[in-house]
Amino acid sequence: MMAKLERMELVSRKIFRGRMKGERRSKRKGQSVEFADFRNYVSGDDLRFIDWNLFARLDRLYLKIFLEEEDLHFYTLVDDSLSMDFGTPTKFMTAKRIAAALGYIGLCRGDRVSVSTFSKASLPLVVRGRSSSHRLIGQLQSAECQSPAPSMEESVRRFCMKNTGKGIVVLITDLMNKTGYETALKMLVAREMDVYLIHIMSPEELEPNLTGDLKLMDAEDFDMREVSISASLLQRYRLTLNAFIDSARSFCNRRSIGYVSVRSDQAIDPLINDYLRSRGLVR
Amino acid sequence: MTWINMLSPLQWALLLAIPPAILSLYFLKLKRHESVVPSTMLWKRAIEDLHVNSLWQKLRKNLLLYLQLLFVGLLILACIRPGWSGMNRLGERRIYIIDHSASMQASDSKPSRLDVAREKAMKLIQDAASNDSAMVIATSDRASVEQGFTNNRSLLEKAVERIEPTAQLTDVSEAFRVAAGLANPGRMSFEDNVDIQVAEAIPATVYFLSDGAIGELDESEFGQLKIEYVPIGDADTSNAGILSFAIQRTETQDVQANPGAISAFARMIQHGSQAIECTASLYWNDSLVDAQKVQLQPEQETGIEFELQGVESGTLKLQLDHPDALPLDNVAYAAIRPDRQVSILLVTAGNSALETALGTQRITQIAKVQIEPISYLASQDYQTNASGSKFDLILYDACSPEKMPAASTLFLGGVPPADIQPPARENSPENSPENSPENSPENSPENSPENSPEKKPDTDSGQTTDAPANAVEPDAVPKWTFGELSGPVIVLDVNRSHPISQYLEMSSVGIVEARTVRPPSSGAILMIADTGPVGAVAPRGPYQDAVLGFDIVRPSAEGFEINSDWGIKRSFPVFVLSAVENLAGGITEASAPTVQPGLPVQLLLSNRFEKYQIVDPKGNIETIQRSGDGRFLYTKTEQLGVYEVRAEGLEEPVERFCVNLFSNRESNLKVGLELKTGAESIAATTNTIRARQEIWRWLLLLAIVFLMFEWMVFNRRIFV
Repeated sequence: MMAKLERMELVSRKIFRGRMKGERRSKRKGQSVEFADFRNYVSGDDLRFIDWNLFARLDRLYLKIFLEEEDLHFYTLVDDSLSMDFGTPTKFMTAKRIAAALGYIGLCRGDRVSVSTFSKASLPLVVRGRSSSHRLIGQLQSAECQSPAPSMEESVRRFCMKNTGKGIVVLITDLMNKTGYETALKMLVAREMDVYLIHIMSPEELEPNLTGDLKLMDAEDFDMREVSISASLLQRYRLTLNAFIDSARSFCNRRSIGYVSVRSDQAIDPLINDYLRSRGLVR
Repeated sequence: MTWINMLSPLQWALLLAIPPAILSLYFLKLKRHESVVPSTMLWKRAIEDLHVNSLWQKLRKNLLLYLQLLFVGLLILACIRPGWSGMNRLGERRIYIIDHSASMQASDSKPSRLDVAREKAMKLIQDAASNDSAMVIATSDRASVEQGFTNNRSLLEKAVERIEPTAQLTDVSEAFRVAAGLANPGRMSFEDNVDIQVAEAIPATVYFLSDGAIGELDESEFGQLKIEYVPIGDADTSNAGILSFAIQRTETQDVQANPGAISAFARMIQHGSQAIECTASLYWNDSLVDAQKVQLQPEQETGIEFELQGVESGTLKLQLDHPDALPLDNVAYAAIRPDRQVSILLVTAGNSALETALGTQRITQIAKVQIEPISYLASQDYQTNASGSKFDLILYDACSPEKMPAASTLFLGGVPPADIQPPARENSPENSPENSPENSPENSPENSPENSPEKKPDTDSGQTTDAPANAVEPDAVPKWTFGELSGPVIVLDVNRSHPISQYLEMSSVGIVEARTVRPPSSGAILMIADTGPVGAVAPRGPYQDAVLGFDIVRPSAEGFEINSDWGIKRSFPVFVLSAVENLAGGITEASAPTVQPGLPVQLLLSNRFEKYQIVDPKGNIETIQRSGDGRFLYTKTEQLGVYEVRAEGLEEPVERFCVNLFSNRESNLKVGLELKTGAESIAATTNTIRARQEIWRWLLLLAIVFLMFEWMVFNRRIFV
């Protein structure tokens, strides 16, 4: 598993500026081996970059410009609301595993990996290098679902204000937010980030095993709903769920947000190696 | 399809409250299980259209509710018992007459005929339409309406259940009269000279459940009744029964040496086609004292006799040891009357022969004699004692009181006062065929010239013995009539069948003068002379009056003159003893009176006690208050056995009487297949009793199936 992850890398559909020398092609021009362009020599330029062959032929001084390779900023924002604490294993556990796997991939590739949760969106853990993987995993292991959790919109707003750099943002959430998820996603898109949304659903949500006359209580806001479970109601629930997923996918597609739907009971190995790779998040 | 109302209004209200209760429970949904979900966001959207809290949305497509309502509906349907029958019974009136006489206790139909009758009556009640009204009458020798007209089946069934077996005889005419009266009300109301029929007569069907051991019915009593006779029991049931059982003291030469000699007589019959042999066991105070083998030929009566010694008091029970369908008539009871000293008053101017006869040892054993002069009749003491039943017998020797006392009397030569005449016809024990004048030696009244009413002025007594015809009711009995003194008189014959005169020998008795004495039709002539009857006895309520038309001695200016030499004859003390025994209350009559169940028994109680207690065979005690004349009519004679009358402070009972079935009709258990009503007969209608076809059991079964289905659905409701 670790070996497989080490061979993988995070895929960014955009090119961002990094902060440090890395393995990612940057928008900056620098000292990589990949030629980018020529420009006229101006006094003060490093004479090592003058193309002497061109000077011999044209008798003019041109400087060869190479592409810069810098590190990638990889942000993982995990939903730690109480609604994530459901399923077997819980959605939050699956979210942490995905975050750890993706973060490890980023660390192995020298990327700048930042992990935060909704409740601690302003206090992200930022690590770099493979040696920091234990910190990343330790941070994720210590994370718990919080009550009351801030709303998704507020958490994303704080995240955006705190992290001005650009990069890949993976938002792992169940989207069970009664105030909506659209505003939050729009804020991320507005920051010109490469946004991925991993939508985690537990089997209990996808196929509820409920019977009889029930009083349903919301785990987050303790809202009560009286229902009499019947076949028609279950059918209607499924239709509502499908419509909810479709609307989220559609919203993401229209805004170039990578939408990935994940079941919480999926094994992490095939999830990363096959599922996320096929969805283009890693390669 | 017809319906039967099985429930009372309260039960209906409760039953009909169930469906709204079920609906209410569905509305309220009181019991909801809490379940925590990640978010109610999706559920909220899903149930927005369904509106689960909406009243009608909740009921929509709720199969469980429908099943429960269907279950309750089927239960209600079953409770009104839908059914059908081939007969149109719309608004019919029914009268169930159930015979519960002694013969209905026969066990030829298990467990008993009465049980079978009750069962059939129940079926008939259930068979009736819902708007039929019916009544229940129980009949034996009397009728009792157990339940008036109603269409409430439970009341009718309870009334049938209430009918208990009795040991009484059968007389259904009263029951039919009651049924006809209730079914055909003939009452009229007169208002402003206009006749208004209060209630319209509605034809009714009488279901008469009986074994047919009844007499002939009077068809005119039926009115608009339609009789359906339902015979109960087997047609060829054999049964042996005792028809009579009596005891008598054995008359021996030496009474003192053998005071407890008793003869017991019984008569029994075997109804059936086969002769039987059985043992008749005689018990004295519950101890077996004798037994005889008896051969009973079919349909023939057989008599047996027991001779007992040393039986002075107590009860006798005769039992036929033969198991048959009716054990009730296999037992008969007799009781030996307890000895009782009677009070006798002799009013005489002086009669040594009579005083000597009253002073014999045997009379002094049983009687206390008080001798008073004729002037005593005018005393206040006499008035008080005579009207207060102090004396059991008063002998008027050549005298008579102004009015008859409350005691039995014997007149020797005197003419009784006018109030000796009986007020009306009475059925007294003395009015039996063997005591009637027709059986007397002189049974041809036309032989006697004094018998013709038109000639008779009784001048010496001044009383009107020959009342005008218009002063006498048409059915009034002939009165005592007394002729004029004439003589000499020769007694030709005595009534050997009457206990007073049965041992008399009067052929050698000379009588100077005597007057003829004729009793009413209820009386009996004791002796008859050449001039006509000169001695007679007749009942007067509980008392008896004996009158002799001659006296022994009569006062005269010289003192006394002899009118008859009877006083020195041997038969005179015999006559006096017989008169004391029989007129003073049957003191030496060994046998206590016996009556059939349900019939009243008349008790003559001594005036020495204010209160008496009557103990029935089961030991129940009833206290009675003595009336002024000492008579008491006891009617609670439903149980077979020996009843005892006890007085306070006495160990021995003062009187006993027995209740025995003694009915040939009740012992004959052959079920009549038709009822005779004059010239016509009503055939048994066994085949017309149809069982009502009902489906309530199937409805109940279907309801249970629905209940099971509902339970299954409840457990698998996710798949609904």
